[in-house]
Amino acid sequence: MKNLSAYLLVLIFALTLLVSGCAKEPVADEAAMMDGTTEVAVVEEQAMGVVEQQVDEGAAAAARAAAEAEAAANRAANDLKRIYFDFDQHVLTESAKDQLAINAQLLKAAPSVKVKVEGYCDERGSDEYNLALGEKRALATKNYLVSLGVAAGRLSVISYGEEMPIDPANTEEAWAKNRRAEFKAQR
Amino acid sequence: MSCLRIIILCVVCCSFFVSNAAAVKIEISAPGEQTIPLAITSLVPIESPKAGVVEGFQQVLENDLDLSGLFDLVNPASFLSDAKKLTLRSTEVDFAQWKLLGAEAVIKGGYRFEGEKMIIELRLYDVITRRLLTGRRYIGKLADIRRIAHTFADQVMLGLTGELGPFSSRIAYISNRTGRKELYMMDVDGNKPVRLTDHRTIVLNPDFSPKRKELIFTSYKKGNPDLFRKEIYTGRESRLSLKQGLNIGGRYSPDGREVALTLSRDKNSEIYLIGTDGTIHKRLTKHYGIDVDPSWSPDGNRLAFVSDRRGNPNVFIVDVHNLKVERLTFEGKYNATPAWSPKGDLIAFSRLENKEFNIFTIRPDGTDERQLTFGPGSKEHPRWSPDGRFLIYSLDRNNQKSIWVMRSDGTGGRRISAAGGDDTHPAWSGRW
Repeated sequence: MKNLSAYLLVLIFALTLLVSGCAKEPVADEAAMMDGTTEVAVVEEQAMGVVEQQVDEGAAAAARAAAEAEAAANRAANDLKRIYFDFDQHVLTESAKDQLAINAQLLKAAPSVKVKVEGYCDERGSDEYNLALGEKRALATKNYLVSLGVAAGRLSVISYGEEMPIDPANTEEAWAKNRRAEFKAQR
Repeated sequence: MSCLRIIILCVVCCSFFVSNAAAVKIEISAPGEQTIPLAITSLVPIESPKAGVVEGFQQVLENDLDLSGLFDLVNPASFLSDAKKLTLRSTEVDFAQWKLLGAEAVIKGGYRFEGEKMIIELRLYDVITRRLLTGRRYIGKLADIRRIAHTFADQVMLGLTGELGPFSSRIAYISNRTGRKELYMMDVDGNKPVRLTDHRTIVLNPDFSPKRKELIFTSYKKGNPDLFRKEIYTGRESRLSLKQGLNIGGRYSPDGREVALTLSRDKNSEIYLIGTDGTIHKRLTKHYGIDVDPSWSPDGNRLAFVSDRRGNPNVFIVDVHNLKVERLTFEGKYNATPAWSPKGDLIAFSRLENKEFNIFTIRPDGTDERQLTFGPGSKEHPRWSPDGRFLIYSLDRNNQKSIWVMRSDGTGGRRISAAGGDDTHPAWSGRW
């Protein structure tokens, strides 16, 4: 009986040793893994910090350029002023040419902007004839801008004839306002 | 030679006798110059009377025949007992009564219903020769009453002049009553307007196919002024010409096989012929000036069009085969919208003078120019009725645009489009 107790004690001790010995290894592994991850995370943090700084510098320049382009595009969209024509004429007047010179500068400063040149007429004259006349006005406008250095591929034309008057009144003033070419920026 | 003279003399004599024999046959190309005293009696119920038949029919028929300018309508207040009698055979009519009133022709008729089905019997009698000129029976529903009246008005014209009237045809036009310019269609008297498009952009300048129930027109629906085709009853729609730039002023050839139109694919407007599949068949003009607004001669060999090749817009004629161009109008500073009459003898156009358009006609050889419209307002876009007796046009007066009809000599002008929007660009269909 005594021998048995001693034997059991030895067995339990031995088992305890065995169990604790077995359990110890994974604990050590875990610690090693955790150490590893921590290390990786630190490295990543450091690398990101460096990259961020580099991107910051590039992005600032790009943002400045983009902002400038955006501003130029906005200027082109907002400051391209319409021009006016004489009755039954598609020949550009001197004041129309002056305005087109300003418009050409705006367009050259914003090379990403494409523009639709829209030709319009006053309501006098036949509708069909005015559609053709409106197109001639738009084309004359486009050709002059091209001659001032704007790429032809950026300029499309369309005629609305007498269909969309600015001022629907039946007066000389209204008609003068309606004989025009307009610029619609497309981005 | 003398033999030929005798033959010609015989023909002339024969035609003289023939025209005498037909007592009420009148010259069709000169409305208003000679009128026939005509009595239009009210429809008589063959069985039990029904509301809405008599007045509706009467009003449409009287309006059509009055517009023709060919008749003096005998005052119904003077009608005697025969007017109230149902007389569907010439032997039953008391022609003496009508002769007493000075009528040379009388319209009589009756109606009855078989359930929903309405049967209208109509007769046109010649009072002088006491015979039936036209007898017609129409079967339909009560809702068809206006259509029946228009159709019979056409028959009355046929019976008295030898040529059908245009009253059962249709008018297409452009109206902005939805806030956008869309395509509409109505009866010749302005009744039953229907909107045909829902493009919500700008729809322009329609033309009817001479063969099918189909219209062509220009629309900005896809961002470019393209030529569209639309089947009226199925509503089916497609783009017929979508070249870059203008695809405008489409006009079917008289045989319906081609369409003349203005294209600006060469960065300049020129007149082209395209097939009904949209392929280009032929370029008809070649000039750096503006060339627009083609209108076919009825034989399909020539086209009138507008060009500013000599400075101001004027009407020119191009030969479809040899492309020879001749100038038609020399007076005035701005001549536009030519419309070749279906009879071939006249070209109507509008001329801008003192800030207003008026409608003129001229012979295709450039002679006999006449002003048809006068008075305040701008009159544009003349188009002929299929029989060449009438013109429709748009009038812009007091900042309101409406569609009017008049006889080909400029008389009888009256508004046909209802108030409530700007209506322009009328086009008259062929026989419906």
